[in-house]
Amino acid sequence: MSEPVRIQEADFSQDEEINALKASSQRIGGIATFLGCARDFSEGRDVHEISFEAYGSMALAEMKKLRAEAIAKFSLLDARIVHRVTTVRAGDNIVFIAAAAEHRAAAFEGCRWMIDELKQRVPIWKKEITPQGEAWVTPHP
Amino acid sequence: MIKVLFFGPVADRVQTREMQFEYAPGMTLHDITAKVGMQHPGALSIVSFIAVNQNQVHDKQTALHDNDEIALMAKFSGG
Repeated sequence: MSEPVRIQEADFSQDEEINALKASSQRIGGIATFLGCARDFSEGRDVHEISFEAYGSMALAEMKKLRAEAIAKFSLLDARIVHRVTTVRAGDNIVFIAAAAEHRAAAFEGCRWMIDELKQRVPIWKKEITPQGEAWVTPHP
Repeated sequence: MIKVLFFGPVADRVQTREMQFEYAPGMTLHDITAKVGMQHPGALSIVSFIAVNQNQVHDKQTALHDNDEIALMAKFSGG
């Protein structure tokens, strides 16, 4: 079974990630997921591609910490975080987060918390490639 | 030797991904950021986070040790 926290170039399968979560416990009553994908338009410009860069070792360590904190904070039964670091085109998958809990409230809250924290804490940067040129993205709240 | 890493927008401004500085006893994080800032003030101006050995630090008086790895990082934009 794949690691629950990963940084990878390749695309991921949501089904495989969810199946891995479900295999971890039969006490799970709800799984909330977040899928981040690439848009073809941003800040008033067409976007052809988005290129990601990471401080890989620190990013992975921070994502592992984040998962452990979410499990403790929201009493999750399990959680998974997968982030791609490569160049993607519109519609491509970027990040997948899933939180599994006994009940839906904890699953929703844990999932939301993990993506919000990931954006704040994990050293990954994205650059948008547009017809007008390339630009590093300024973080959104 | 102190290794300094740059990524994304900071690497673009510094035009390199790594610098190395000779370690000297008593050296602090401030000594390194000052050296980088002298050469690349435009890069330092967008540094929002600093890590020493992959842990974020907020105190520039943090003492460094030989072979430390420092990362000067812009605001993150993953996800």
